[in-house]
Amino acid sequence: MCFLHCHPMINLVFYLGAIFMGMCFTHPVFQLCALLLSLSYYVLLFKENRLRKLLGMSVFFLMIALGNPLFNDRGESLLFTWINGRGYFLEALYYGISMGAMFVTVILWFSTYQQVMTSDKLLYCFGNLAPAFTMILTMVFRFIPDFQKKILQITAARKGIGKWQEEGKQRTKIEQGLLILSLLTSQALEHSIVTADSMKSRGFGSGKSTAFSIFQIKKSETCLLFLMFVLLLTILLCALAGGMSAVYFPWIELSSFGSLPTSLGFICYAIFLSIPTVLHIREEIIWYILKLKI
Amino acid sequence: MVHFEIKNLSFSYPSDMKKEILHKVSLTVKRGEFITICGKSGCGKTTLLRHLKTVLTPYGKREGEILYKGKNLKEADLRTQSSEIGYVMQNPDQQIVTDKVWHELAFGLESLGCDQKTIRLRVAEMASYFGIQDWFHKKTDQLSGGQKQLLNLASIMAMQPELLILDEPTSQLDPIAASDFLNTIRKINRELGTTIIITEHRLEDILYASDRVIVMEAGRIIADDMPENIGEQLLKNKHPMFAAMPAPVQIFHGISKESKVLEGRELSCPLTVRQGARWLDLLFNGMALKETRIAEKKSNSEKGSSFPAVKLKEIWFRYQKDSPDVIKDLSLEIEKGSIFCIVGGNGTGKSTTLKIISGICRPYRGKVFIEGKPLEKYKTRELFGGILAMLPQDPQNLFVHKTVKEDLEEMISRKDSRREEKIKEIAALCELTHLLDSHPYDLSGGELQRAALGKILLTNPGIILLDEPTKGLDSIFKITFAGILKKLREQGTTIIMVSHDVEFCADYADWVGMFFDGGIVTTNTAEGFFLGNSFYTTAANRMSRHLFENTVTNKDVISLCQQNLS
Repeated sequence: MCFLHCHPMINLVFYLGAIFMGMCFTHPVFQLCALLLSLSYYVLLFKENRLRKLLGMSVFFLMIALGNPLFNDRGESLLFTWINGRGYFLEALYYGISMGAMFVTVILWFSTYQQVMTSDKLLYCFGNLAPAFTMILTMVFRFIPDFQKKILQITAARKGIGKWQEEGKQRTKIEQGLLILSLLTSQALEHSIVTADSMKSRGFGSGKSTAFSIFQIKKSETCLLFLMFVLLLTILLCALAGGMSAVYFPWIELSSFGSLPTSLGFICYAIFLSIPTVLHIREEIIWYILKLKI
Repeated sequence: MVHFEIKNLSFSYPSDMKKEILHKVSLTVKRGEFITICGKSGCGKTTLLRHLKTVLTPYGKREGEILYKGKNLKEADLRTQSSEIGYVMQNPDQQIVTDKVWHELAFGLESLGCDQKTIRLRVAEMASYFGIQDWFHKKTDQLSGGQKQLLNLASIMAMQPELLILDEPTSQLDPIAASDFLNTIRKINRELGTTIIITEHRLEDILYASDRVIVMEAGRIIADDMPENIGEQLLKNKHPMFAAMPAPVQIFHGISKESKVLEGRELSCPLTVRQGARWLDLLFNGMALKETRIAEKKSNSEKGSSFPAVKLKEIWFRYQKDSPDVIKDLSLEIEKGSIFCIVGGNGTGKSTTLKIISGICRPYRGKVFIEGKPLEKYKTRELFGGILAMLPQDPQNLFVHKTVKEDLEEMISRKDSRREEKIKEIAALCELTHLLDSHPYDLSGGELQRAALGKILLTNPGIILLDEPTKGLDSIFKITFAGILKKLREQGTTIIMVSHDVEFCADYADWVGMFFDGGIVTTNTAEGFFLGNSFYTTAANRMSRHLFENTVTNKDVISLCQQNLS
């Protein structure tokens, strides 16, 4: 059971939890934990171009971390002063680092999210809640690539009779664009008549309908989902008890690991966030062992 | 058991009450029958088929009765009709509703409110039956045209219909995908006993499998008979639909019409190449052939104009930096004033070649010469103002205005004093005069193709590029279309055409080039090309090559047979 191929509900609950908590918890230890675990899953999932993207993210991180004190002059410990005597404070720098880490973590979760939550998984999750809306979304997902293809075809057709100018006045460009848009719209309308016929002839709207999905939840997945809810509940209680509190201004005050809400909350948080990584590595180990046996 | 019974059905649209689209049509369809309906476009085939399903029936004035299983069709409720009567339409793309293959397969069953377990089983069953497992999880927009149409069929078959109606299902497919699709239809009919009613232009693949063939014209049924007899019926009335019959049928009647040798011999009409070859054997049973070659035809390619209209030199092309090469080291010279056909499988780069010649795609290596001058030296206005024009695969993409006339006017500058005259001339050439004020989208496929040709001809180009111009056209219109092409060639226009239509190329091309794996494998005169091939050649050649040496077209076979029999 690899996280990528888990039941969509597990994926959805995980990402909702991870991204929401990633944005709320500003305690540096929690943030470090989230950053490392989102990074580890990112590295496991993506094999190509990851160094370049990670480099980009580090630059982004440094910009936020070092830039924050330039705009934020609160704090106690002055590091140095710059233009017009504005202070550059240590607390603001720490806060910048915390913010940077938060941004990078959320970006990392979102990039794996895109790989994991394909359109059909997302639709499945909402299919039971809002069937009509899901149907519209499905059809939109179907139409978009069609539109893109059509635009290319029309442009090529216009080029083939010399009615397309690459360079030229802004006005002609806008006119060309409008022409394509109008053609696209009329073709889409024609298209939708056929699609509507095809839907009607297959009984759409003939009475009560069902939503079919290719996903089936397994027993082990139910257990995992249950465990995830227990963890989330515990983390929520710990957060309410102030276990994740972190104050940066005017001086830094962090909840200590000596208290139960902080330590318990941290353990649960770490377990929750490590689910994708652990499942992924477990799968790879199983394959490795299977290969060894051959 | 009678499945459908149509009694004296007449129909006219509210916009034009006087013109009857269907006139007193009566038809009985038995369970398990395979019925092919043919007729030129606009004869009312589609309107007739749409009457067989209440939700698709057009609005208008109607007389007569339609009985489904002995009861009025309207009494059968929506759910019964949806599941029992399947309807596959022409355009593979537009029928697909959802974005995933598995979802599309389940769509009908979802609408009918089946439970998860039933849907799961039916979807699995259909995916296996149609060989869809390999692309079950794909997105629908990544499929080829043939796969899309197969998916449309499978998603209807998942509802377990008793009757399957298909309205020109293969007109948008290439010949290989089309014949795969029609084979599947035959398989469904044979193995599941599903009743099939199909309209088709490509008769050679289904005529022999049909139980009955119905020919329609102007809203009437003019022939309804077994496939063996249908040719004779058409011939008796000198009906132009005879041109749509498969080659063996045409040859059979071409010979038996005049020859007296056949009298007293009971030879039934052959429908396939295999039957045709056997029939020829029986015809010449034991006879020594006097003549096995027909006299060399005068070839247009011997005019000896050495000056190429288009020259490609070592072209390499790919769509993206890291995608594979589509065109590999292609060199080609196309003679001025000839019809050059490029044939070959799907996705081998044929259409891309046309795009390179017209400058829509730029090769990353190699050069294109138009009339001896490098392509990049031309200004756009110069190139498309009388030298070159291209007709895209989907002619609809050329029309952006409200009427055909406005679209034609777009091609000539307002300052031109002969503007009106030119449009009139072209309209007359392409038989568009009565269509000038219609909206382009109201035209039928054939009419639209003619209008598109008219549009590109207005700039009076010396070279025209056609991308599958005969796709979806009926055989009667193909003859008209070929007539226009011939007229153009006489005026010295060079025509470069990508086509899947082997018979069309054999009849009208001067040169044929076979495209494979990014390059032209061989170029030859049409005759030489089709004589040398064993698969990529005409049906006439395939059925007669064991007797005759150089027969390519139906006419060749007929004239040789007559020479030997007289």
